[in-house]
Amino acid sequence: MAMTRTALLLAALTSAAMAGAQPRPAMPQLSPIEMMRNDFAARSGGSTVYFGAGSAQIGAPAAAVLAAQAIWIRQHPEMLVRIEGSADPGDTRDHALAMGARRANEVRNYLILLGVPAGQVSATSWGKEHPGTGRTFTNIVGPAPLSGPALMPAGG
Amino acid sequence: MKRIGLAALSLLGGASALAQPNQPAATVIAVPPLTTPASGAKANEDLALGWQATQLIVTDLKGTSELMPLPPNQKDYYSYPEVTAPNFPQWRSAGVKALVTGFVQTRADGRITVGCYVYDVDKGRELGRTGFIVGKSDWRRAAHKCSGLAYKAITGAPGVFDTRITYVAESGGGNAVRRIALMDSDGFNHDYVTAGGTMVLTPHLSPDSSQIAFVSYMGGIPHVRLLDVGSGNQRDLLQGSQMSFAPHFSPDGKRLAFSMMLGANSDIYTIDARGGFPQRLTTAPGIDTDPSFSPDGSQIVFESDRAGTQQLYIMNADGSNERRLTFGGGQYAAPDWSPDGKAILFTRRDGGIRRIGVIGADGSGEKLLTQGPNDEGANWAASSRELIFQRTDASGRNGLFRLTLDGSAPRQIGIPQAGSDPNWSGRMD
Repeated sequence: MAMTRTALLLAALTSAAMAGAQPRPAMPQLSPIEMMRNDFAARSGGSTVYFGAGSAQIGAPAAAVLAAQAIWIRQHPEMLVRIEGSADPGDTRDHALAMGARRANEVRNYLILLGVPAGQVSATSWGKEHPGTGRTFTNIVGPAPLSGPALMPAGG
Repeated sequence: MKRIGLAALSLLGGASALAQPNQPAATVIAVPPLTTPASGAKANEDLALGWQATQLIVTDLKGTSELMPLPPNQKDYYSYPEVTAPNFPQWRSAGVKALVTGFVQTRADGRITVGCYVYDVDKGRELGRTGFIVGKSDWRRAAHKCSGLAYKAITGAPGVFDTRITYVAESGGGNAVRRIALMDSDGFNHDYVTAGGTMVLTPHLSPDSSQIAFVSYMGGIPHVRLLDVGSGNQRDLLQGSQMSFAPHFSPDGKRLAFSMMLGANSDIYTIDARGGFPQRLTTAPGIDTDPSFSPDGSQIVFESDRAGTQQLYIMNADGSNERRLTFGGGQYAAPDWSPDGKAILFTRRDGGIRRIGVIGADGSGEKLLTQGPNDEGANWAASSRELIFQRTDASGRNGLFRLTLDGSAPRQIGIPQAGSDPNWSGRMD
């Protein structure tokens, strides 16, 4: 996400500096999947929800974000979504893997409860391998091609 | 990566213990330079190799807390017949309790014969002998075997000099490139056995060190894979796309125990190492993981949060007769059953502190072994007297440490980069 933002900022700065100059530089192209991810994060209030230490319970702030996520996901049935769970860095290696998986599974079940088709959303765990606190990240993984002219697959 | 064939020439002599069990002082042992039956120019070559082997044996023994080798001295040269008839009065007067003699001889086919003998100096009695024919480049393994012979003759426990360690090598910091590395227990013959493109975790060696079970993120979902060390070939342990992790071989190498997610529930399974269908052993809701077999393969210790906090439990290897092992405060994780069957290592979390501890397999005598604050992943050496674990320093860098159960301080193991998830092989006899 940080990379994407940097790219946008650079694009804006470059455009401003070169305004009126000929020829205009080409705008850096965001890949369709990156545009989708940005749109998802903006409209659902964030791709990440957080958990209490050692807990996989979805609290009220997380539930609000997930409700918004569910709306976006239902509006984009062509996009596959993967819930990636993470555990606390103080956890032990394998318990962290299971805890990340448990959180991802809770979020997946919650989204399904809110009407997301089960086949559209999968779950995985990063254990404690991605530094940070206990959380899940809702990742838009496809099936849109990673680059190319079409933003949406045909019929999407 | 080739596995060398060690042809044992002879394995005679009793392995009677010299040291008293409760005697804290180390046994003074002399290792005069290995000699040779050869003569002329050939002899010089053999003696040079013998001197290297002698120094390696001394280094090996010096690394233990039970033996104290005299510094090796090239002036302590002895003739080939003295290998089996040492000058005991000379060594007695030097204050030595034990003695290692031996020889190196280059064969007509270019390989070398290495022979080693261990003596009780006071009694003037042989405690054991061993010998090998190895390729010249494998002289280190032969020397490690001599060290192991001396260690076992004096302590009664198998040595860990000729063993291997696998771990996850981390380069680049943060979300680094991670590769599974394999090395001799003294750090030599270090090699990477997976490419860096895929994240890997928790390698575990088969008892004969021919295979490594590990967790791979190939495809985005963590799952257990098996690596054949000799060929480098890899395959998935299971079919399907469930998350699986925490693989541990059974002591006979024929089965693996691991954990697998079913929804939010992690349970313990076993499976034939060659493939087939997994057998589910636990059914409690919650996280059951980190299975480790007892040395006879009849039982499995594991961690579970079924009672609210993480504790250690033992069950029969078919999943029957589950019973709780730990009742202390804090959270217990990552148990490892000792090769002698008597004790179980664990990681204990108390607040923000993670430390290594040990408890008797009968639940008695629990104690903490390290200070933390970020230790985990303890694993026994084949001797059951020493362990290896991972320590994360204040900057977040992971390192590997060895610790002897005699109360001495942990020693950091020299590896090229950062490292995590160490696993120490059994004996390679």
